[in-house]
Amino acid sequence: MNTGACNPFSRRHFLSSNAYGIGSVALAWLLKQEGLLASSERLKAQHFDLLAKPAHKPPQAKAMISMFMQGGPSHIDLFDPKPELTKHDGKSYTGEIKQDDAAGASLEMMGSPWKFKKHGQSGIEMSELVPHMGSIADDITLIRSMHTGVNNHGQSIYAMMNGRIVGGRPTLGSWVTYGLGSENQDLPAYVALTDPRGVPVLGVDNWSNGWLPSLYQGTVIRPREPRILNLDAPMSLRGEAQDRYLGFLGQLNQEHLARRPGEFDLEARIQSFELAARMQTAAKEALDISKESEGTRKLYGIDDPATKEFGTRCLIARRLVERGVRFVSLFTGNQTWDHHASIGTGLPAACKYVDKPAAALVIDLKDRGLLDSTVVHWGGEMGRLPVIQNRAGGSSDRSKVGRDHNTYGFSMWVAGGGFKGGHVHGATDEFGHHAVENVVNHYDYHATLLHLFGLDPKKLTYKRNGTDQVLVENAEARVVTELLA
Amino acid sequence: MWPKVFMTRPIPLLHRRQFVVLAATVASALAGSALHAAAPAPLAQPAQGLTYEKDVRPVLKAHCFHCHGEDGEVKGGLDVRLRRSLAQGGDTGPAIVPGKAHDSLLLEMLKSGEMPKGAKRLSDAEIAIVEHWINQGANTARPEPEKLGPEYAFTDEERAWWAFQPIQSPRVPDMGPGVDNPIDAFLLYRLRQQGMELSPETSPASLVRRATFDLTGLPPTPEEVAAFVSDTRPGAYDRLVTRLLESPHYGERWGRHWLDVAGYSDSDGYTDKDTERLHAFRFRDYVIKSLNQDKPFDQFVREQLAGDEMVAQPYRNLSADAADKLAATGFLRMAADGTGVMDDKASRNAVLADTIKIMGSALYGMTIDCAQCHDHRYDPISHADYHRIRALLEPALDWKKWKAPNARLVSLMNDAQRAEAAAIEVEAKKLDEARLAKQAEFIDATLEKELAKREETLREPLRAAYKADVKKRTPEQVKLLAKHPSINKLSGGSLYLYDTTYKTNHAAELKKMADAAAAVRAGKPKEEFVQALTEPVGATVPVTYIFHRGDPDQPKKAVTPGDLTVLGGRRTVDVPVKNNSLPTSGRRLAFAQSLTDGTHPLLARVMVNRVWMHHFGRGIVTSAGDFGHLGQLPSHPELLDWLADRFMKEGWSLKKLHRLIMSSHAYRQASTRDPRKEQLDPDNALVGRMNVRRLEAESLRDAMITVTGKLTPKMFGPPVPIMYNEEGQVVVGIDTADTAGRQTGKIIPLNGEEYRRSIYIQARRTRPLGMLETFDAPSMMEPNCSERPRTTVSPQSLLLMNNGSMREYAQHFATRLQKERPTDITAQVHRAYELAYARPASPEEATRAVGFVTAQMAFYKEHPAPLEYAVGPPSKTNADPALLSLAALCHALMSANEFLYVD
Repeated sequence: MNTGACNPFSRRHFLSSNAYGIGSVALAWLLKQEGLLASSERLKAQHFDLLAKPAHKPPQAKAMISMFMQGGPSHIDLFDPKPELTKHDGKSYTGEIKQDDAAGASLEMMGSPWKFKKHGQSGIEMSELVPHMGSIADDITLIRSMHTGVNNHGQSIYAMMNGRIVGGRPTLGSWVTYGLGSENQDLPAYVALTDPRGVPVLGVDNWSNGWLPSLYQGTVIRPREPRILNLDAPMSLRGEAQDRYLGFLGQLNQEHLARRPGEFDLEARIQSFELAARMQTAAKEALDISKESEGTRKLYGIDDPATKEFGTRCLIARRLVERGVRFVSLFTGNQTWDHHASIGTGLPAACKYVDKPAAALVIDLKDRGLLDSTVVHWGGEMGRLPVIQNRAGGSSDRSKVGRDHNTYGFSMWVAGGGFKGGHVHGATDEFGHHAVENVVNHYDYHATLLHLFGLDPKKLTYKRNGTDQVLVENAEARVVTELLA
Repeated sequence: MWPKVFMTRPIPLLHRRQFVVLAATVASALAGSALHAAAPAPLAQPAQGLTYEKDVRPVLKAHCFHCHGEDGEVKGGLDVRLRRSLAQGGDTGPAIVPGKAHDSLLLEMLKSGEMPKGAKRLSDAEIAIVEHWINQGANTARPEPEKLGPEYAFTDEERAWWAFQPIQSPRVPDMGPGVDNPIDAFLLYRLRQQGMELSPETSPASLVRRATFDLTGLPPTPEEVAAFVSDTRPGAYDRLVTRLLESPHYGERWGRHWLDVAGYSDSDGYTDKDTERLHAFRFRDYVIKSLNQDKPFDQFVREQLAGDEMVAQPYRNLSADAADKLAATGFLRMAADGTGVMDDKASRNAVLADTIKIMGSALYGMTIDCAQCHDHRYDPISHADYHRIRALLEPALDWKKWKAPNARLVSLMNDAQRAEAAAIEVEAKKLDEARLAKQAEFIDATLEKELAKREETLREPLRAAYKADVKKRTPEQVKLLAKHPSINKLSGGSLYLYDTTYKTNHAAELKKMADAAAAVRAGKPKEEFVQALTEPVGATVPVTYIFHRGDPDQPKKAVTPGDLTVLGGRRTVDVPVKNNSLPTSGRRLAFAQSLTDGTHPLLARVMVNRVWMHHFGRGIVTSAGDFGHLGQLPSHPELLDWLADRFMKEGWSLKKLHRLIMSSHAYRQASTRDPRKEQLDPDNALVGRMNVRRLEAESLRDAMITVTGKLTPKMFGPPVPIMYNEEGQVVVGIDTADTAGRQTGKIIPLNGEEYRRSIYIQARRTRPLGMLETFDAPSMMEPNCSERPRTTVSPQSLLLMNNGSMREYAQHFATRLQKERPTDITAQVHRAYELAYARPASPEEATRAVGFVTAQMAFYKEHPAPLEYAVGPPSKTNADPALLSLAALCHALMSANEFLYVD
């Protein structure tokens, strides 16, 4: 950094030497103007950083961890019991229904083959497929009336992530880090934790900064080593090899600088290498779960091969938030929850992968006193239909059928950061196709989250194409106060 | 991404220029009282002789004209554009009482912050000016005009702005014997006033590196360095400059500078889809070619503004020259254009707005775009002027008869190729028909199988319903079909879904037939296009209206095309509405000719300043895109004029201009800082030394590729593809993600394309190449880029330390060293220094480097490691420790400041 820019001496010099020879008489006045101009909106150079910024009003949430279950978990089989559907099992659905797949389309209704039971003091009903989530029933708000209304993965993911059904816009995490910065300058402010089985549908659009400065893009922490891009040294330049490389580089740079005394930029770059090296350590430390207690590792299911992978990522998410990272998104693999077929085996497997770790995250955050200030979210971009989707081959064999897409009514849960505990909000119709009671649209959800972060959806703006862009564009969007503690 | 922190601009007074005008008058009032910048300003002594025109009007213009006088708007009946009307006042009485500031409503309004409405309160200094002016009697500089016609839009003070004055041919100061270069003379004149001199000449090795990077964007080879250093004959430097100017890499380097200004992009931007612009590269190629052949800059500009008007219509069977001229107009097609995706009023007008912004900063060094909704707040550019410029473009960019981007493409296919293509299409159509017949057959067969699963009685009604024309189905039929979705949704498109059900192979068979037709079509001559700006043949020239507050729904007065009216008086600023001897309107052609007639005050100054900026790292006017009041004043106005004048007199030759600048001692001087000069001139505004500069993003990447010996010198053509790797970084490569966006991990070899220069890599607005973006290449989200930021941030360091491309380059570099200097580490070290730094290693450096390599080698023998690449998995077997240790050295050399910076 050229400190001359802040040095009045350089201004003095400028005045006496500029082409129009304005003499020192103008100096005092200009020095004065400097202070005045600094407050002039129009003249302020655009500057973006990740330093922590005050919210518009006192926030309840300081951080968020979103577990995004891409593909569309079947709400009817997990969170939204439908006795009527069970009663009508095998009969023909008589209402309007919107299927996505032609060949497998059917009107045959299917009640959930899984048992539901009440959990906790709140008595929230959940299915036997998610027993651990059941155990945290009193800490979560279960929303049974989610709605995006766009019946395919891509559009509905966009709706959930950026508020519209098209790509290229900033995701929720980008908006929040744009508005609030980060509490830790040695780690990325917005982190995406992807699944080793692959990235979700739409890939990088799930953590895109859109047209916000790239500073606000989610940084991918990869599902396997090296977990951060350009953070891990190449295989051949690690440890001692890298130390020697950095030492040698430092000598080159110091000697180069010594021959060019006073070149601030060269100095700044030397410092930036030091910071980069520090980031390597800071991020590594944050990602290293080896120091976690046996009990913690067990809680997250890291001792069990079935839950080890997702458990590790959930634990990493907690460690990041603990260190001041603002927003963490966890993803399951591409279409993990898209059970068009064989839902009878696919859904239990998908649940097994995440159930214990997801619940552990809430329990662990609560134990550490972090849940009050951290929003936890679990859910996908859609739910599934009450009717079966025939297996290829036309078979309606119940062991092979699945369920098609449903974005007109589905469930997800949120916890912490100002959300109620032990609360159920909204409802779908008797068969679970349409959200009919206290509908929560994706934009309502966004408005509510911003509210918890102390951000005013109307004031969190970014100038583009001459207009103030916002995350929440829909005029009907509202903060769903019924969800708030 | 990691934090990208923009550096504080190195120039302290950027954007403060408008106050200097005021400074002269009020400075004495404030002198001595305001050294504490943040303290409020108690006014000691009022400045004397304030006038409305010079002192007060600029303040009111910036804050009040918008609602009180401009464009017919007189809120509260008050017009503040004249002293007279202020005294007369509005609905609530006189706004000023001359001599009595405290009785003046205007002052009360300003002080209380009640005015300006909804905006920030005026600064204390601004209010003080108004207050003192009233107290001094509210004087004017001269009698005020009877009426405020357009001729009074600007005051004499505004017309007198330096950048609008004719370019002079200043006398070169006589700086005594030994100073025969005029550039040196101008610089020394100012330096010696401060008791300074130019710095001594830099070393030959450093000079050849500087000159080579400046003119080609690439490092010199060790052989080129040696040849120059050992050439003691007279004229060695001159021969070096000549060689570099003749290099084809010159156009690639300086073409990139022009592409920044033109806002070059290989995609449409504006909407989230960011559609690719498959033909934009012809403009890039046109620019590179034009620069390499040293096309006179005036001609270069004329072609870009009006190349289409120089080519006979219709645009068919085009000659190479005609195609080039059309490609040149790509300049006016660079703005983001979302109308291919979202064609509405706002998107159409945004194309015009961005194009005007690009023209303004590229050709005028003016923020003409600021006058889109109202008169420019600081510069004498009226709202009407903005629309006069807009009228130049509207015959081609007629927002009421709009053409989407693809409809604007001009085909390069000639009649013979077209006939051949048509003949092939006839053959392909036959295959299409056969396929459709087959498809109908398959659908029938599938339908029957589906029907067979239904009850007997349902079959015939279902068959009839399915076969009935969709629009003619009875309500009963529709209902029936809805109950049988697997029949209802049966179609050519869904046929493949039934293949699994019935173990048929219909979809595959149809695909084979479709492929056969595609194969026949592939034999057609490929139709190439050029992205051009053209006017529709025979169209009536649209009338351009001033949009009240910039709103297309509020058209007011009609305007005719022309240049900025503030330039009038000395030159014609009107452009004929229609040139009847041309099939086009002739507007842009006439304008282009006027702009390049050698008397326009801005074009040559702006361009010469850019060239200077790229040679010295800092312009004579440091705000290269803004020569107006919010920009900077020239540090050396006479030198700027002398260069501009000389540039035009020498036929607008850029290569002559480079030679002229590079022949100065100033260009060849050392960059070493001198404590005394640091005291007097810390920003080096007087050019008492050369600036140390960081390589621009493209040069950095190109330099790495060059020292590895991998550079593919192929020029021109479609851009090198880019893709997301699985971490979401944009890298060079062919995208093999599937339709769901999943990375397949498949790698398609690029056969050397990946080692082409950065200017050939696809510049997609939403997908800047990671390596370039990290090092401050234009973001492409703005219409264009007049001046790149220069950041020094840790993501750059992380990339240099750890990025896969870095590793790959280091390995290539090491392989090259092993090949050129087999076996001997010391020789390899020396070669590495020569290649990377264009200088030999000192004995100490060599010893240390050998020590480093040796230590690394010992380490790798104990800890083997594979080779690593930018894309794809590492090598399956471990690499030779000798290669790895040498690669570590190369990696360090390429990430060190000596590689990144030029002295």
